Amino acid sequence: MTILRPSSTYPSASPAATSDSYAHLLPLAELGDHIIHGEHESARENANLNGDSFSGKMSRLGSEYARWYTRQNVLPAPVLQAVQQNRIYIHDLDHYALGTTNCIFIPFEKLLRDGFSSGNGSLRTPNSIMTAMAQVAIIFQCQQNAQYGGVAANKLDYDLAPYVTRSFRKHLRKGLRYFESAAIHTSANAAAGEVDFAASTGSSAVSSVSAAQSSGLIEQPESTLFQDTLRNDWEELILTASMGDEQLAVRYPHAYAYAVEETRTETYQAAESLIHNLNTMSSRGGGQIPFTSINYGTCTSPEGRLVVQSLLAATVRGLGHGETPIFPIQIFKCKQGINQQPGEPNYDLFLQAVECSSRRLYPNFANLDAPLNAEYMIPGEPDTEFATMGCRTRVVADRFGRNHLSGKGNLSFNTINLVKLGIDHGIHRHQLASVNRQQAQRIDSRLENSKFTDAPIHLTDSTLALPDEKEFYRALDECIAIAAEALLHRYRIQAVQPAKASDFMMREGVWEGGDHLQPDEPVGDCLKHGTLSIGFIGLAECMKALYGAHHGEDEQVYEHALELITYMRRACDALSERHNLNFSLMATPAEGLSGKFVQMDRQIYGSIEGVTDREYYTNSFHIPVYYPVTAARKIRMEAPFHHHCNAGSISYIELDGNARQNPEAMTSIIRYALSQNISYFSINHPIDRCTSCGYEGIIGSHCPDCGASEQEVHIARLRRVTGYLTGDYQTRFNPAKQAEVRDRLKHS
Amino acid sequence: MNICGYIPESINEGPGLRAVVFISGCTHRCPGCFSPHTWSFRAGEPFTPELQQQIIEEMAENPLLSGLTIAGGDPFFSAAEVSEFVQRVREAIPNFSIWIYSGYTWEELIHSAIPEYLKLLQLCDVLIDGRFVQQQRDVSLLYRGSRNQRIVDINRSMDQGKAVCLL
Repeated sequence: MTILRPSSTYPSASPAATSDSYAHLLPLAELGDHIIHGEHESARENANLNGDSFSGKMSRLGSEYARWYTRQNVLPAPVLQAVQQNRIYIHDLDHYALGTTNCIFIPFEKLLRDGFSSGNGSLRTPNSIMTAMAQVAIIFQCQQNAQYGGVAANKLDYDLAPYVTRSFRKHLRKGLRYFESAAIHTSANAAAGEVDFAASTGSSAVSSVSAAQSSGLIEQPESTLFQDTLRNDWEELILTASMGDEQLAVRYPHAYAYAVEETRTETYQAAESLIHNLNTMSSRGGGQIPFTSINYGTCTSPEGRLVVQSLLAATVRGLGHGETPIFPIQIFKCKQGINQQPGEPNYDLFLQAVECSSRRLYPNFANLDAPLNAEYMIPGEPDTEFATMGCRTRVVADRFGRNHLSGKGNLSFNTINLVKLGIDHGIHRHQLASVNRQQAQRIDSRLENSKFTDAPIHLTDSTLALPDEKEFYRALDECIAIAAEALLHRYRIQAVQPAKASDFMMREGVWEGGDHLQPDEPVGDCLKHGTLSIGFIGLAECMKALYGAHHGEDEQVYEHALELITYMRRACDALSERHNLNFSLMATPAEGLSGKFVQMDRQIYGSIEGVTDREYYTNSFHIPVYYPVTAARKIRMEAPFHHHCNAGSISYIELDGNARQNPEAMTSIIRYALSQNISYFSINHPIDRCTSCGYEGIIGSHCPDCGASEQEVHIARLRRVTGYLTGDYQTRFNPAKQAEVRDRLKHS
Repeated sequence: MNICGYIPESINEGPGLRAVVFISGCTHRCPGCFSPHTWSFRAGEPFTPELQQQIIEEMAENPLLSGLTIAGGDPFFSAAEVSEFVQRVREAIPNFSIWIYSGYTWEELIHSAIPEYLKLLQLCDVLIDGRFVQQQRDVSLLYRGSRNQRIVDINRSMDQGKAVCLL
């Protein structure tokens, strides 16, 4: 079958393309042209993928075909219709037909402890932190290809602490051999008879050696023999030694100091190489690097703390030329009693994390004390501590009892376009009454995609009478039902996949219980512990279309907005009951989607002030980035929404200026956000980098350091998109996101 | 007295999140000044008692602010009126940290014959002093433009009779 589309390269019409039987393939062929010639917007849909590269294009070709195939052959008719009507969006449609799952918290503790096989070879449990961190990168990489979304560690400090201990013991063994033996020897020779050293060590072996040495029975060359005796004795000590052992520090100060220093150096180097690895292994389709997140901050053992200190220090240091690492997304877990007040064991790490975030935008901050998250936390079980997968995904509760994080994830999510519902039952309803009826009907029947009117529509009293709330909620119910139907339909596809399809994930038990399945056994019974999520976008524009103001502008509208999200959460809870699965509500990370919805809505409804007149819809429940509001007020207004979004949410504050020079401001804002029960929080601030001299900070048209002009030298401008960083927003963001970044109103 | 700028939350003019008020008018006219549009005493709009009250209320309501920074222009050219404003701020928001910029140096202000200068100084906590000198421009400096400028702790400087710098 030939589906070459006639193009400038192939001037003669291909008979296959024009014949009726293949007519439906024409759009697909056109798409191929667009991708190959680099004209397709999908090239920039994902800020992490270079759509201009060969491998990026190759991946796009496959992905676009999969989307087309799914639309043609797989999607249930009502779902397809809702998608075409721009009412819902199915994320990662290219993986729908295959039954791939979205994201996961990886049980690193288990994989490192038991060893694992990559498929081509097996790895033993690591004996040092250096090897353990290398294996973490390998595990991320293996797991990434078994799914389409993010891979995360929910408690990396706890997971890696045992390997810091192993390194410490290794170094201690060396330290004892070199320093303490020598010390014994010297002291024995120098001060024969005064053997209170033996008392201080409490070791009979030492006392007998010293006694023998002091009596002159033993010549120096033989000392190795006695060191061997000593080593046997020390082996027991080494077996249980830890960095926090004060007695050890007192008894063997030299060996202990040596071991601690070596362990610190090794852990730092391991952290540095982990961060480099996670930014360089383009192991994923399209040359993407794995979408990794690491959570940490609550482990109070010296070993766990060292892991966090090292990761933060390596992040501040940056990559090869000092540039800010894009991955892993780092999340500092904040908890009262652990790291929030002076005097708490990890308070210093919190301050270090804020400092790091003021330089590198990461870590973000997860709030373990928010009621939503505290509910499932069991003291002493770090796997029940709230953590997030990068852009915001949250999985904690499970109706089948796995109320912990690792070994499961989100299965898939669909997003509802709230703005369209708002237009249909708010402003547009009144336009129907007040403007050209014929035109309006045409729009209503959606027979035509032509613009409603070229002149922008202003929200005035005449266009805004009472919205039809009853109809709005009826239509919302319908959207939720369709979004849920699509999730269930997709879940059924996912559930019947054989374990061998997700390979590493099931074989190694990355997804809990997968290792008990035979290669051909279906994975449904494991997957049911994951979440099916319904997301939403454009609450602000929806409110504007319904009530003439968004929820940041008017208190009454705010109440309506909160009611709406509470309603959606209840709907998700009801779905969970009805279908006996974990449905949850997500504040959608709207990369790519933020522009798609609005583009199509504008085609239908025209440009409506404050609703469709920008290039993007506002993320989830956020107060619009262009609306002037103080940081504290934005936090107070967004916080209550977090409580309802049990599939995850994030709030941001934008700072204009050089945040690295003012960590006090960062600290007070973060503390305030946590105190208001924001579940997941981050501060955005500009990081520009002069590629000529390497200066990092805020750069206008000229580098303030070397004076290079923007016209002559590339100024890399690092910004955050939906929870993760992207190298340079001018080249990697899609147009809608670029517009959003331009509009962000800063708290300077 | 005119006001030519107000930033409700800033991280660039002192530690923590601070409100910044720009008082119009400056006759120092330093070459290379980054805001010559603030030199005119007619720049911006009158800083009326109502506007002052509005800003004070906004600051009082904001739990994240650690203080106020008064910049310009050079607020010392309107010292008497600025003092009144600062007094109102002090009454409304106790324990608020107040920083102030001036093109005059600490020594010039202290030894000046104008009593209003001293009064305004004593109402504030920290003075960032000195003219902008292009030859000493340094972008890495905290809150300042050129190396001659200092961050002066007013209380300690008064006590010790000489400029005591914070950083």
